[in-house]
Amino acid sequence: MIELKNVTKSFDGKNKVVKNLNLKIEKGEFVVLIGESGCGKTTTMKMINLLEKPTKGDIFIDGENVKDKDLMELRRNIGYVIQKVGLFPHMTIGENIELVPTLKKWSKEDKKARAFELLELMDLPAEDFYYRYPSELSGGQQQRIGIARALAVNPEIILMDEPFSALDPITREKLQDEMTSLQDELGKTIVFVTHDMDEALKLADKIAVVKDGEVIQFDTPEEILKNPKNDFVEYFFGKDRMWKTPEMLLARDIMKKKFGKIGINGSLARAIEIMKERETDTLIVVDREGEKKQRPVGVVTRNMIMKNNSHSVKMKEIMASSADLIVDENTNMVEVLNIMSKANFRSIPIVNKDKFLVGAITPISLLNIITEISPSIEGGE
Amino acid sequence: MNFLQFLKYRGPEILKLTGEHMKITGVAVFLAILVGVPLGIYITKNKKVTNIILNIANTFQTLPSLALFGLIIPIMGIGFKPAIFVLFLYALLPIIKNTCIGINSIEPSIIEAGRGMGMTHSQILKMVEIPMALPIIMGGIRISTVINIGTATIAALIGAGGLGDFIFKGISMGNNNLILAGAIPTALLAISVDFILGLVEKKLTPYGLKNTQ
Repeated sequence: MIELKNVTKSFDGKNKVVKNLNLKIEKGEFVVLIGESGCGKTTTMKMINLLEKPTKGDIFIDGENVKDKDLMELRRNIGYVIQKVGLFPHMTIGENIELVPTLKKWSKEDKKARAFELLELMDLPAEDFYYRYPSELSGGQQQRIGIARALAVNPEIILMDEPFSALDPITREKLQDEMTSLQDELGKTIVFVTHDMDEALKLADKIAVVKDGEVIQFDTPEEILKNPKNDFVEYFFGKDRMWKTPEMLLARDIMKKKFGKIGINGSLARAIEIMKERETDTLIVVDREGEKKQRPVGVVTRNMIMKNNSHSVKMKEIMASSADLIVDENTNMVEVLNIMSKANFRSIPIVNKDKFLVGAITPISLLNIITEISPSIEGGE
Repeated sequence: MNFLQFLKYRGPEILKLTGEHMKITGVAVFLAILVGVPLGIYITKNKKVTNIILNIANTFQTLPSLALFGLIIPIMGIGFKPAIFVLFLYALLPIIKNTCIGINSIEPSIIEAGRGMGMTHSQILKMVEIPMALPIIMGGIRISTVINIGTATIAALIGAGGLGDFIFKGISMGNNNLILAGAIPTALLAISVDFILGLVEKKLTPYGLKNTQ
């Protein structure tokens, strides 16, 4: 865990680049610091391994003040990746990866084994790459080595300063994807600086929006998009960002909490009554009526009702099973749209993790969300 | 007596003077490396003194060599030592300058990466800066040496010996053979030393840096 407490940094004693900044990064979290250039995000990151010394305030790693640690040991135990990669051109790829192990005086065999392991992890054939030189590699390959080098002694924490911003868009996207799966595998605590919103949204568990040396908002990407704390955050991420990244929108954000439903033993007459009341033609059938914890079992539509004239018929006899339709509340909008387009019904039940019904998504709720997030519709053009 | 006969007759003496010549230049350049390389490294770490040191070294370079030899006589007298001292001053500038340029030309991100990974200043110097700057430093040493082989002929004027002896004797006696016996070995020495040091420079260039240059 990394904790920055009231950290202030000033280079000239007058202008504060970082102002009284507080930030708490949990173990295993991928935190992205984002902001305009000169906002203090890089300085904030560099204070964690004391490449910049805080003017005021304290930084703790696992409860220990970084000031009290041996400076070189501190840095060797924190992975560090920078935009320009900074591989040593006069050393082979192997020697580059083995740098921190060399500083830590590992044995030759251990170093080589680790370098090979990391090259394989980065999907670079080790037998070949180990003996090559940085100038023989493409930009994307060089940054992969940069990441491998940072992982060499298996540090808990990795600091990354705009590592992908100098790469071409295709390579950048590829490395971002690799970073995501790498993080799934390794579960490091990562502090990642960028000015690229898409990158932040793609990679982060949590985003810290930095402006004028202060953290404006520190939250999950979803929360930042849905509830930007102020105009700056909203402007920075763009009002239409949500529209462009429907993956951020989850079923529970779209669903209606009030919708037509009926018990499995409900009668035809009752179904018609509820439909009229709710002005809908589709009801969700639940396993028991009138109780809070209900599970969806099926869907009944006006057409199904019209086919049956007997008023004594019960829902379970005419409903269509919704077994294939039940959607978890954390499903994203893209998947929801897929499911809805395949379903024959206009209403699909949404359940929580215990499979209890929490809401329903109908075309109306989709329409509502689109009007809400799409700037052009909102603009009333 | 033609030149070839002259060479045969004076051969041992030519060899002796060539040896002296190499000794004078060698010692002067060696001392200049000992002082110049650390000084060049030092001024990259202290930007304030960079210009002061470079200006001082520049001044010595600008002084005419003959004048400098003249100036040194009242202070150090004549002979081997004052000659070495003057040649040392001449050799200093290219070595300091190239060391400084070699280290300053290293991409700052490389140094930052080193610091970020927990390398101490001396580790960065030993493992990164010097190996990367070595070809350029070697280039400075090569220039110094070649210039010094030429300038060392003038050292004969203050009694330091070397191939300059033949040249000055030849001039005063109007003997072309003597002049050539001093001038040709000097020229050959400069050319061959330049060639050898060029090979050393190439050899010292790390493989990874060869492709980029």
